[in-house]
Amino acid sequence: MRESLLDKQVMASTDSDTEVCILPDVNILVLGGQSILDRGKKAMTPVLDAIVKSRKKHKLVIGVGAGARVRHTYHICLDLGIPLGGMAMVAGAVDEQNTRLVASLLAKHKGIALNKDHFLDLPLWLEAGMIPITTGMPPYHYWEPPNNNADRMPTHGEDLGMFMMGEVLGGRSVIYIKDEDGLYTEDPKKNPKARLIPAIEANELLEMNLPELILEKSVVQTMVNSRHMKQVQIVNGLKPEMISRALNGEPVGTVIYCGEENHPSKGMWPWTDGRKKSAKSKNGKVGKKSVRRAR
Amino acid sequence: MARNGNGSIPQRRTIQMTHGNTTSSVTSVLTDTTYEDPILVLPDTNVIKIGGQSIMDRGRSAVFPLIEEIVENAKDHQILIGAGGGTRARHAYSLALDLDLPTGVLASIGCATSRQNARILQMLLAKHGGVYLNPEDFEKLPLYFRVGCIPVMVGMPPYEYWEKPTKGSRIPQNRTDSGVYLTAEFLGARTCIFVKDEDGLYTDDPKKNKHAKFIPKITVQELLDRDLDDLVVEHIVLENMLKARNVRSIQVINGLVKGNLTRAMNGEHVGTIISVD
Repeated sequence: MRESLLDKQVMASTDSDTEVCILPDVNILVLGGQSILDRGKKAMTPVLDAIVKSRKKHKLVIGVGAGARVRHTYHICLDLGIPLGGMAMVAGAVDEQNTRLVASLLAKHKGIALNKDHFLDLPLWLEAGMIPITTGMPPYHYWEPPNNNADRMPTHGEDLGMFMMGEVLGGRSVIYIKDEDGLYTEDPKKNPKARLIPAIEANELLEMNLPELILEKSVVQTMVNSRHMKQVQIVNGLKPEMISRALNGEPVGTVIYCGEENHPSKGMWPWTDGRKKSAKSKNGKVGKKSVRRAR
Repeated sequence: MARNGNGSIPQRRTIQMTHGNTTSSVTSVLTDTTYEDPILVLPDTNVIKIGGQSIMDRGRSAVFPLIEEIVENAKDHQILIGAGGGTRARHAYSLALDLDLPTGVLASIGCATSRQNARILQMLLAKHGGVYLNPEDFEKLPLYFRVGCIPVMVGMPPYEYWEKPTKGSRIPQNRTDSGVYLTAEFLGARTCIFVKDEDGLYTDDPKKNKHAKFIPKITVQELLDRDLDDLVVEHIVLENMLKARNVRSIQVINGLVKGNLTRAMNGEHVGTIISVD
């Protein structure tokens, strides 16, 4: 058994269209750091209420973003000459703070902080009706791969970490809760004329090379290669009813999808697996049957 | 929404910074500002990867002379060893692939073989100061060097379930070569040496093709352009090198030839040097 994993033919033989969905009922909700958490009680209470209500119907995992403090961390680190991997390592602490904040607020509603070492306990917690809350940053730490020389910031942040959790679990959906109705042609906070993009194909979005994205670019780049998570939705958490609507399969913000066959008008939002796609109803919207009820 | 001047939108708490505040976009504030170059964390470190299949799986005949050479070199140099995976990692991958499991699961199980090899190397090196370095204890590296230890760590980076999928293959693209290279890059290491069982890079796999030609020196770009069917290091190492600041050159050497490691540590060219420039 001396075949090299560096051999192209060997590598190509390892592809698959029938990859297992590990936890197909899981919905990943990502709480924006700057957009939601940094706004405090006024924004958080309605969002958390919506999450607790949704848990009765859907299995959820909450990922938290970092926000202002991580930007400040990066600024100080850059000034001190901390290398990229070091920045990725220290940034995670901000996520941990936010995880604790959210876990404290959700504790009485079965919220529980999920340490990445306990990743394999997820099925137990979900079956018990818990709402696991986890740091969004992926554990790349000191091993954060370099990006180009000009840009010294880690590219694998909370958005990517939670996308990957959805992808590896073969989950039902990944929903990003931000403070805008979705993705705009420009930052709507700076340019009121910016237009909302209700749905866009991932490759197209990358080609547009927008100056600012509401979501980490690495999510869109990774989605192009994904095997399960071919759609993500960005919704406005300042309109908390959008959260349950998105979970029920409505496109209420911006849907970023990969491949025209995954356009939200052709299937349901969210679907995660080609085999489930037939579950749509005549009007192209989600049939009730297709929304699996979580215990 | 805020842009309509609706005062009911809860305000974001921000932090004032030298350039703007934290609500400004990261890209505009942080990249428009010029910062000094990053520091080198441990610039005297020599990061050495011991191949799994190429060295460890050969057992005593390959490993013992190498251990001896490492111990000898550790008297003059700070050496950090990263362990490869090898045959058992491939076996685990092939089983997981057959079970239709995703890349992230493969990455998380691949780690274990590399960990076994790291622990084995630690035991062999123990009487000479070999210590097992948990990725969680990575910050203890200066202590170990200060007291003359030889730290050994797993080669795999800790991405596990967060290893990104790739098109056309489900094997994790970041394996032990990648992890070891990224360790060297982060530390700003003096050298990054990959100890394998071939003299270096060939035009084809020399174990399968006798006519394969040896390539003593090549740039990363040339190597990527050649688009070889088989490579001596993981492809992603080459991609990362192009974007890296510190480790712009690596050497792949034959660890079955006594003296090669010592010569490479002393800056000699004994295998294939792959460099950005």
